[in-house]
Amino acid sequence: MKKSYVIKRILYSIFVFGIVMTLNFFIPRIGVEDPAERYYPPQGNMSDIEYEIIKQVTRQQYGFDVSTWQQYLNYLTGLMEGNLGTSFRSGSPAVTDLIVDRLPWTLVLSVSTLLIGLIAGILFGVIAAMKRGRWQDTTLLNASTIMVALPGFFIALILSFYLGFEFEIFPAYTDPNMVSNFDWSLSAIQTVAENAALPVLSMAVGSIIGYAQGTRNAVIAVTNEDFILTAKAKGLKQNTIRYKHTLRNSMLPIVTSLGMSISGLIGGQVVIEQIFNWNGMGTLFLEANNMNDYPLMMGIMLLLSGFTILAILITDLIYVLLDPRVTVGDKR
Amino acid sequence: MDKVLKLRNLKVVFPSGHGIIRAVEGVDLDIHQGESVALVGESGCGKSVTSQSVMKLIESPPAMTRVDTIEFLGNDIKDYSAKQMQDIRGKDISMIFQDAMTSLNPVMTCGKQIDEMYIRHQGVSKKEAREYTIEALKLVGVPEPRSRAKNFPHELSGGMRQRVLLAMAFACMPKLIIADEPTTALDVTIQAQVLNLLRSMQKRHEMSLLLVTHDLSVVSNLADTVYVMYSGKIVEKAPVKALFQAPHHPYTVGLLASVPKLSDTEKTFSQIPGTVPHPMKKPSGCYFHPRCKFATDKCKNTMPPLTTLSENREVRCYYPLNLKKEATA
Amino acid sequence: MKKLPLGKRLKQGVIKRIKGIGLFFKRVWSHKQGKIGLTVVAILVFVAVFAPYIAPFDPYDVADRTLKGLPPSRTHLLGTTINTGQDIFSMLIYGTRVSLIVGVTSGISIAIVGSILGVMAGYIGGAVDSLIMRIVDVMLVIPTLPLVIVLTNVFGRDYWIIIIIFVALGWTGLSRTIRSLVLVLKNSNYVKAAELAGASRWHIMIRHILPGTSHLLIMSTALSSAGIMVAEAGLSFLGLGDPTAISWGKMLADAQGGGALLFGAWWWIFAPGVGIFLAVFSFMRIGIVMEEIMNPRMKQTSSVYKVFKNLNSRYIEEVFISMDDHQKIGVDTTKTVEES
Repeated sequence: MKKSYVIKRILYSIFVFGIVMTLNFFIPRIGVEDPAERYYPPQGNMSDIEYEIIKQVTRQQYGFDVSTWQQYLNYLTGLMEGNLGTSFRSGSPAVTDLIVDRLPWTLVLSVSTLLIGLIAGILFGVIAAMKRGRWQDTTLLNASTIMVALPGFFIALILSFYLGFEFEIFPAYTDPNMVSNFDWSLSAIQTVAENAALPVLSMAVGSIIGYAQGTRNAVIAVTNEDFILTAKAKGLKQNTIRYKHTLRNSMLPIVTSLGMSISGLIGGQVVIEQIFNWNGMGTLFLEANNMNDYPLMMGIMLLLSGFTILAILITDLIYVLLDPRVTVGDKR
Repeated sequence: MDKVLKLRNLKVVFPSGHGIIRAVEGVDLDIHQGESVALVGESGCGKSVTSQSVMKLIESPPAMTRVDTIEFLGNDIKDYSAKQMQDIRGKDISMIFQDAMTSLNPVMTCGKQIDEMYIRHQGVSKKEAREYTIEALKLVGVPEPRSRAKNFPHELSGGMRQRVLLAMAFACMPKLIIADEPTTALDVTIQAQVLNLLRSMQKRHEMSLLLVTHDLSVVSNLADTVYVMYSGKIVEKAPVKALFQAPHHPYTVGLLASVPKLSDTEKTFSQIPGTVPHPMKKPSGCYFHPRCKFATDKCKNTMPPLTTLSENREVRCYYPLNLKKEATA
Repeated sequence: MKKLPLGKRLKQGVIKRIKGIGLFFKRVWSHKQGKIGLTVVAILVFVAVFAPYIAPFDPYDVADRTLKGLPPSRTHLLGTTINTGQDIFSMLIYGTRVSLIVGVTSGISIAIVGSILGVMAGYIGGAVDSLIMRIVDVMLVIPTLPLVIVLTNVFGRDYWIIIIIFVALGWTGLSRTIRSLVLVLKNSNYVKAAELAGASRWHIMIRHILPGTSHLLIMSTALSSAGIMVAEAGLSFLGLGDPTAISWGKMLADAQGGGALLFGAWWWIFAPGVGIFLAVFSFMRIGIVMEEIMNPRMKQTSSVYKVFKNLNSRYIEEVFISMDDHQKIGVDTTKTVEES
């Protein structure tokens, strides 16, 4: 039963990814007859003949000179080989190479944000739930009331203003040589940590408070369950009840919300990378957008969607491990 | 007979934003060794709160509790600390809840949940605890206890789950078992099985039983003494036979009459008119007077005291019914 | 069945709905948090409508170069920008318009689209249901902000295009909620009765199921308006919003690009930031209060604990004493109860 559920989830994730792949192919082709027009929009001072020639070249260069169906097949076979197409940048670098260069730097930010957010968030949430109605709880409630209305980029600007410019505790802009000088030496790692401090902090503040509020609500909901009363009536020690009964059950809704929050985290990071000049996929994406570099944009989109699908799949599988009831039926 | 439990003047209120909910208003309760006592009343009359207060399971906040005495096996546990209470719960007093589905932890195997009792109260290893658990499951009639112990609650049938709860409650052979509506969530045929099991276990080990229920047929089968509760107060106390033969309080009369009998020739069900008073807006005088056809001005203005009529018979009414009937009985 | 002409029946239905919605807002108003939210929203709407009369300067005016980078003063309440010398207070007031129009229009449209698709999925079921839900699943995994950026690149950056994009991407969560609500309503007795009476599918959907979701829709409008305001600000902050309008997000971007951080012009950063915060906060409060009204278990504030802190211990003692049998005689208990 459990096995079939897992296989079903994996197949469904692949199906969703297939649809995302298809969307990625068609989105740049919406509203234009010739994709070359999208890739190379007409410039003001260009004669019709000149533009026609440019379109001709673009078509040949990007393989638009065959039928759309054939293009789609070529796109899919390219993806199978890990080929996301060629970028518009000078020297026509492969999109895959550009992304692979930036990917680790983006992951540094997102993984540390996620870890800090989860660990601190769950910790604060459990504390607030245990001290329900007291100052720890009210502080969290007030903080989350305010935080949900504060956009991440505003927090980033404030942090950059005070911690970066006024008090100069952390660098407000990423060291442009950080990437090229990185050699796994201790000092290089320290540079990365210093430069990552503000971007991670600006994203983590929201995550911590969000996860904390979620944890607090989940723990309190479980505390009101009948089986906790049973555990008390059994004479179990408070710590046994807390760790073996309450916390384990409260993890279930947190795991579900974790998968859902990944997509938002990725979107927010685009803005944060831009503010701190961080050399990640977010800035790469915005650069691509400014240069109308569709192959690069769509490649990044595909990768980000793939990450989200993977994250949701993993959290779903963790859920199955934690909750024996899932096997009875699909939880959706 | 030794007294197992002596509860005096228990009062529980729940302050809320809209007013004060008066759940329990001065309840006295006595349970002797080997005796089974039933606490009967409609839902919301405070019977569950009373039973949980005996184990001091009602938390403050939200509740506020006042009590003169909770004497358990001769010790006044009124001022026991949380730690001292933890040693008593499960070992000397244990509880069986209504809905086994929600009362068992859904992500822990049934066996593990029973193991916890032995590990906590008898200090045995996990392995030994599992052997005890399998014995306990066998005792309550669970077939293939070794493999059932590895099942999660949702994988068992309702009757099996209730048996798991029973095995858990009897694990440490407590002196007092509190059963809060133990069969309400079950099918009628399984109800009978579980009740028989409960009674035979209780009699065999000379345990005392506090049975909280609204089901009078369960009461007639299981109880020795009956307390009838209405709106937070005890309105009548009597041995079970006497109560069924000659109920004194008009509310008890109504309750008994509302149970359909096979011999009934009338085609309508008799019922008590009106509804239970809201716990924040209780009427003046006797709480039952708005629904009582015998009520007088005296009933409207003053609450009748709980008066002792004979040994083991108490009633909270100025005009008790069926007094002669008992004399003849 | 049809006793009244259709027009009259419709009119009666609409009046009944409006009365119900009015009552709902009254309950929101009686809530402290809801009062704050509604008041701030009212002020923001007033400011947006009368912006030209409230703003002391022309926010677009970059002519006077002597006014660059002034800190807050009596004439320039929130100072001026460093690079162009625009009056920040006036910009802030005009920025209200973009936030409110984009936020509320998208919020309402999301409510309409989401409810239609949600009711269709839930009530018709079958292939329609699985098609809509598969779309929802796919939209869920594509990161929203990058997708919005791609779509503005494809379709353009007019505000009405941005609104359409927000709606096209924003309806999914609501439709899922509506769908599960409809699945409950579908099995309710009054819908079954209507089916047995021979009412058509559309009649049941419009007359019986949609009204059951109206409170949820108002709540969703408030919450998604707040979400869209944040998204719009983010888009403008990246310089990808409508380039012709003054918006809070664009003000923040100008502040960052114009050296506000470097020269310590805190007023330039805080003014638009607080604007965004107030707008989002007020809409969110209204939405959350509505959620609490509809679903009391959602309640975040632990009122029980508040009550407990402020308990009048003497009064509680009186209540306890009044429970004793001998005290009861001759005491009118209803009075002591209602005093609380």
